[in-house]
Amino acid sequence: MDARILLVEDDPSIREITAIGLRNAGFTVETADDGRAGLDRFAAADFDLVLLDVMLPRMDGLEVARAIRAGSTVPIVMLTARADTIDVVVGLEAGADDYVRKPFEVPELVARVRAALRRVGRREDDASATLRLGPLTIDLAGRTVRRDGAATDIALTRTEFELLVDLARHPGQVLERDTLLDRIWGYDYLGDSRLVDVAVGRLRSKIETDPAAPELILTVRGAGYKAAR
Amino acid sequence: MHWPRGVRARLAGALVLLVAITAAILGIGTTVFVDARLHQQTLADAADQATFDLTVIVPGRQLPAHPTQDDITRSGLVDTFRQRGVETVIDLGDGSTVQSNDQLAGLLDQLPPDMTARVGRGELAYSWLTVAGRPRLVVGGLAPGGGPAFYFVRDVSAIQEAIDQLRLAVLGGSAVLVLVALLTARILARGILAPVEEAGAAAERIERGDLLARVPVTSRDEFGIWADRFNRMADTLSETIRRLERAQHQNRRFVADVSHELRTPLTALVAEASIVGEHLDALPPDSKRAGELLVKDIGRLRNLVEELMELSRFDADAERVALEPVDLGKLVETVRAGRSPKARFAAPDPPIVVDADPRRLERIVANFLDNAREHAADKDVEIAVARRDADIVIAVSDRGPGVPADRLEMIFDRFTKVDPSRSGGSSGLGLAIAAEHAALMNGYLQAMNREGGGLRLELVLPADVAGSLRAGDAMAT
Repeated sequence: MDARILLVEDDPSIREITAIGLRNAGFTVETADDGRAGLDRFAAADFDLVLLDVMLPRMDGLEVARAIRAGSTVPIVMLTARADTIDVVVGLEAGADDYVRKPFEVPELVARVRAALRRVGRREDDASATLRLGPLTIDLAGRTVRRDGAATDIALTRTEFELLVDLARHPGQVLERDTLLDRIWGYDYLGDSRLVDVAVGRLRSKIETDPAAPELILTVRGAGYKAAR
Repeated sequence: MHWPRGVRARLAGALVLLVAITAAILGIGTTVFVDARLHQQTLADAADQATFDLTVIVPGRQLPAHPTQDDITRSGLVDTFRQRGVETVIDLGDGSTVQSNDQLAGLLDQLPPDMTARVGRGELAYSWLTVAGRPRLVVGGLAPGGGPAFYFVRDVSAIQEAIDQLRLAVLGGSAVLVLVALLTARILARGILAPVEEAGAAAERIERGDLLARVPVTSRDEFGIWADRFNRMADTLSETIRRLERAQHQNRRFVADVSHELRTPLTALVAEASIVGEHLDALPPDSKRAGELLVKDIGRLRNLVEELMELSRFDADAERVALEPVDLGKLVETVRAGRSPKARFAAPDPPIVVDADPRRLERIVANFLDNAREHAADKDVEIAVARRDADIVIAVSDRGPGVPADRLEMIFDRFTKVDPSRSGGSSGLGLAIAAEHAALMNGYLQAMNREGGGLRLELVLPADVAGSLRAGDAMAT
């Protein structure tokens, strides 16, 4: 696997050892030591994935994530110092697909990076098919979603698209958070179900008429989510 | 604020009783005195009048020594007396009488015998009695030189009427006095209790954490002095508390800062150690052991720093509880499978589902299992989930050495290591952290030694965590 990874991290030791670990795992790694440099580097070349520290000088990781997200669906994995609500949720809402908590062991980080890349590489078997969910038409081959009567596609990240597809494939069926974590993020049981909650929230804000009263993706309290029939 | 009615009721009771007794004594005394005076006065008047009549009027009419009824009638005496409002009965001595009013016909029979006897001897005598339904004063006597006995009868119902009016006045006055007493008691009680209530309100505010609450000092009486003392006590107390809070805040801040500052180098260390760990076999034998120890110790350091950070977040009150329905059997089974696959557990049937914070429950159960693994590594460990009254109990029991009874309470304190030689990789913070998580859900931890050896750790949670938290909030505000 020769995926190209952009690593933005300000601490030299962490940056160097993380780069070594990723290169050992077969990735091509470029590094940047602050937010602005990271954004410049991202604009200058193609990357398959961005690893982004939250606390960065000059421009913090959340801003960088938003800036990248404005023009790209590249997977973003945040390196966050805290696993409690604020950092994780804010990071995910800024457009990150996943997060890795500091401190991390390199093999763990590599596994997360691979999972994120696998998702991108995943292709539908029946790539010609389309799915319907309410007024939405989901084009699996083109990876686009369009609302009936709308002139343009709804812009979804890869994670959001995968989530929508998984739910739309099983209308009316409750999918537990852990199931979704496993299928979309490639997590085992130790995953953080807030990933699912935040991603569903973001997805709703893009596809629902009123995200506060969702009609397409419904919450089943204590269980998970389901797509409307 | 609700105040017991005791002081008010007692004050009112005492004043009313005092006023009632005083009014009763004065009223009865006055009535008795006035009654006696009136009778005395009336009697004196009647006696004077009788004496005058007998010594001046009667002789003036020059009756014969033994007058007949006709003589009496002719003399016009009866009418003369009557014009002055005095009825007369004249005993002619032969068994017949002359009276000014027919109602008085049987009067002589009603008089006490000793009175008629005294009159017969020429003395002036009197008697109070009721004739024809009205109270009367009868004064009897003879004219000088003898002759018929004259009995002068006065209607004295005026005395009774005066006494009745007096009684009414006394009763009315007493009622007014009692009302005044009640009013006075109320005003007095308010005056006395107002500072007490203010002090109570201030104490309550202090109790709720408003250290600036003080009692207003409005007077220089005993209450003023007391309020002043209360305020000085509150000053000292709040100063001490502020000092302690500052010290504690600095302390916690320091721990939080230290663990935060440690985090960056620790992240580098952990990442580095994880790569060294993968290549231990490639190291020369001399360095290999050092590498192994390095990896292990960095793991210990990581646990310690992470647990310190976790605790400092509790100390900063930065933790929030996110409740959702949790199937406890499922949750415990997941933790068991990942943490202590050898521990025995049978999920409750039917499943127990409660609203709780699953992340915190996982952490508590994991820390229980870590504790069991550490102290009873290869021995039997058992997990149980059950309802107990209004609570849910999750228990982890091991067959380790247990804990001396006098130290059971302390095992949830920070950095408590019952047996330092067994501290292993543990920071001594795991159970303290579990206790903090439990407290956030209004639950608590308890530890007990098992029969046959070993320790049992219990998490006790209210079955209705949400309701219990709401009740707690309601009380706090």
